[in-house]
Amino acid sequence: MKSNSLWAIIILGGFVGLFFWLRTIDWVGMFNIEKHTRDTEEKLGDLFWEHLGDDGNQITDSLTVAAMDSLVTRICKANEIPCGRIQVHVFRSDVVNAFAMPGGHLVVNSALIADCKNPEQLCGVLAHEIAHIELRHVMNKLVREVGMAMLVNLTTGGGDAGQIGEVIGALSSKAFDRDLEREADMKAVDYMVNSHIDPHPFADFLYLTANGESGETFEWLSTHPSSKERMEYVLEEIGKRQFEAKPLIAASNWEELKTRMDTVVSLEVK
Amino acid sequence: METIMNAPLEHEMEKASNSYLMSLLALLVGAPLPIINLIATLIFYMGNRRSTYFVRWHCTQALLSQLSVFFLNSYGFWWTVSILFTNATISNEYIAYMITIALFNLFEFVSTLYTAIEVRKGLHVRWWIIGDLTDLICKPKA
Repeated sequence: MKSNSLWAIIILGGFVGLFFWLRTIDWVGMFNIEKHTRDTEEKLGDLFWEHLGDDGNQITDSLTVAAMDSLVTRICKANEIPCGRIQVHVFRSDVVNAFAMPGGHLVVNSALIADCKNPEQLCGVLAHEIAHIELRHVMNKLVREVGMAMLVNLTTGGGDAGQIGEVIGALSSKAFDRDLEREADMKAVDYMVNSHIDPHPFADFLYLTANGESGETFEWLSTHPSSKERMEYVLEEIGKRQFEAKPLIAASNWEELKTRMDTVVSLEVK
Repeated sequence: METIMNAPLEHEMEKASNSYLMSLLALLVGAPLPIINLIATLIFYMGNRRSTYFVRWHCTQALLSQLSVFFLNSYGFWWTVSILFTNATISNEYIAYMITIALFNLFEFVSTLYTAIEVRKGLHVRWWIIGDLTDLICKPKA
């Protein structure tokens, strides 16, 4: 019995010792796992973007592009996110929605911009979606929604347009799980504070839409967890932070952007 | 107290050896699922409950040997599932754990193969710890 106990200790000790020794090695760096993950993500992003970009609804006028780029650049620079990693695209649509795709593509519908009362509200939504990209929520959601096999099939050229459309549909119309949404909201507040952008309007945006002020199709909120709950924890987080808000884009530019988006949305609705 | 076993007959050696081979075969067939080899040895064990002491003893040892790696493999299996389907990511800890269980499985695989060969020759191979546990579970019929 004594020898059995000794062997049990040796085997158990061997297992634990081997595990603890092996975990000191940087396997993730050695196998370039981060790079492989990002490469796959970029491949998927390009593939989805090729599919989405074909529908002719992208808004590419200089005012819209410049305004959106300036907001995203402000968030990225202040949070040490390489600016080239996030590519924002504005689409003509009467559905209030914004969603992140793999490879750093961020799609914002014109109706969402038209619905924001100030640039800070729009920045809140952008920061939330950037957080999903940076926290790798997008790839995790894809794996869960469509499975690893389908993603590998798509990146190796095995998917057709219908399958790609389905995957994009899953990305744009289904929320992340509650914990991931909360994590992205918290990160968004962090990004905004670091960028000297007042995060209160982001909470207002959640509050106003949670109370059904708008009669529009609020895809962005309807697919997310309870907006009231989100508004509450966002406000709680803001309360813990100290920040100095600095102006975003010129009021005239913002008004012009809003007018343009309103026109685009009304044209689309007609 | 050491139980004295009579020299096994040809068909007993074959059956006892097969109990180990069964787990190896199941391991090769259902490699990613840690429970397959355990189920295979359990089925073989159930099928030989009324067999001779030599066969029963080795079926029991084969079953217990699979049980020992089952828990380690299950943890690794569900960790992998969490990486594939949840928010979890591949970390140094995950790779270290997978290498550790791979080495333990390799050691267990070689030991099982060695035992199967020796038992086929009629030699009574006892594993450390598991051999004594087998003695507690498997008793010669009165």
